[in-house]
Amino acid sequence: MEPDEVIDAALPWERVRRSRAPRVPHLVLAWSLDEPERVGEVLPIPRPTAIGRGGPLADDPFPRGALHQLRPGRAIAGPPITSARIGRQQLVVEPRGEEAVHVRSIGPARVRVAGKVVTEAVARLGDVIEIHNAAVFLVTSRAPQPASTTSLDFPYGAADPFGMIGESELAWRVRDAVAFAAATSRHVLILGESGAGKELAARAVHGLSKRRERTLIARNAATMPDALIDAELFGNVRNYPNPGMAERPGLIGEADGSTLFLDEIGDLPEKSQVHLLRVLDDGGEYSRLGEAVARRSSVRLVAATNRPLETLKRDFLARFTHRITLPGLAERREDVPLLLAAILRRTARENPQIAARFFERRTGEIAEPRLAPDLVIRLLGHPFTHHVRELERLVWLAIGTADADYIGLTADVERELSESAESSTDTSELDRDTLAKALADNERSPTKTAKALGLKNRYVLIRLLKKHGLSATESDS
Amino acid sequence: MSILQQTLERTLANDDTFPTKFYQRLFAAHPELRALFTRSTPGAQNKMFAQKLTAIVDHLDDATWMKRELGTLAASHVSYGVTPEMYPWVGEALFGTLAEACGEAWTADAERAWREAYSSLVTAILG
Repeated sequence: MEPDEVIDAALPWERVRRSRAPRVPHLVLAWSLDEPERVGEVLPIPRPTAIGRGGPLADDPFPRGALHQLRPGRAIAGPPITSARIGRQQLVVEPRGEEAVHVRSIGPARVRVAGKVVTEAVARLGDVIEIHNAAVFLVTSRAPQPASTTSLDFPYGAADPFGMIGESELAWRVRDAVAFAAATSRHVLILGESGAGKELAARAVHGLSKRRERTLIARNAATMPDALIDAELFGNVRNYPNPGMAERPGLIGEADGSTLFLDEIGDLPEKSQVHLLRVLDDGGEYSRLGEAVARRSSVRLVAATNRPLETLKRDFLARFTHRITLPGLAERREDVPLLLAAILRRTARENPQIAARFFERRTGEIAEPRLAPDLVIRLLGHPFTHHVRELERLVWLAIGTADADYIGLTADVERELSESAESSTDTSELDRDTLAKALADNERSPTKTAKALGLKNRYVLIRLLKKHGLSATESDS
Repeated sequence: MSILQQTLERTLANDDTFPTKFYQRLFAAHPELRALFTRSTPGAQNKMFAQKLTAIVDHLDDATWMKRELGTLAASHVSYGVTPEMYPWVGEALFGTLAEACGEAWTADAERAWREAYSSLVTAILG
């Protein structure tokens, strides 16, 4: 017996550290002609599974799989699939490891895997399985999920009380991180690319905290003129620094007992970061400009940035006890259909003409949008660079350039998707050695290295470095 | 699977426009029926038709389901202004569209099965 095994058996923390729950392939319903309200539901494939319309049949080759509303610590099996165009016995899907499935079509509907009509094929993580004019499934992989630490309860697939949409593992990981941070009064740094939902997360931290009764004070640090940053932050007495200036409490004073959300904190000059250090300590001490007395503010700072952490001063960075990293949309593809549905619902609510043209009406009421599966499939494979904001723009482009009564993949949307996909390099080919060499060749400058590797920006590089256990700074690498 | 399920599945799989053709055939023979179909868009109507037809074919042996669903269907049809003489019109449009979509698969056995099932369905709806 290996000594490690003895340790494993004896110490629970060792067991947790050494064991890894196996992941299981899942199919996420991304589009459905007849059951659009079930988009986002998940069909686990832990073993060979039969998929078809209706309940089990005696001659099913394997136990029949069911679509689930799957959340951390909760799995609710939904009713059988009712889509008319899905055969009573349509697919047999078998797991192939943790991230792939073998698909066999046994029904009348044509089946495509990754765009090709097949009778059988292997579909891998991120591939799409399409049942012609009936349903689109995205292949994903999930670990058995532990119970969530959040107590949020809202309809499956809908926006949570703070407006965040997503049922993916990563979406729930963010919700858990937000809830964990919110339960304390410590400062929070939210990291994520533009459009990933940093302000939503900040508002959620405030909304879940004990400070929620007070108004959240929000400001974009990038919009503060350099000369006035300190006055904006700390306030000033009357006539200081310029005659005629009114007395101002400053953002720190305004947010006393509440939360101050500073977006684009990476744009705050180093000098201002230093000025903030004292008020971010436990005492919360600060002074208004022109005033000798020290004031105290029990402000909680939630800051956000889309820049690499290296842009912040170390001692300033150290004040943020919690860091919440928001995943990009391409990292949580299974949430794209839910976001798409939410954007379209909002669009229909706000624009009766669009609703009349692109949405079905059932017994007088606006119902589901006429949404072409090819658009959904292309969006599922798109390497989003501006995330939800980009998705929203693409939806509007699809609506604006539609030449029929459905929202689909128009030539303009196709061009836009192709152009932005081309500009985003495939980073999967960049291994640790390549990255390390590129860093060395470019004086360890993240900007130069990112450019040399053809990456979109420094942030992408920093994430890649982190993934490979590297850092741009010499001492950490 | 029953012959009804087989013919319907094959039809829906081979012809995306099957519901559209059904309504075209129905309205061509009885234009006055158009007035009954204004509450939903044609796309939604097509989906509802295919969904309901498939569900009924799937549940022909489930007496509880049939009783519940047909009761609802009967009540809603009355409220839409459907009258008993319209049911045969719908039946003929359905058989004609199925025959066209199935081609050689529309055998005498298939037609007999559909006509019998439709007849008992109408009897159940009209009470």
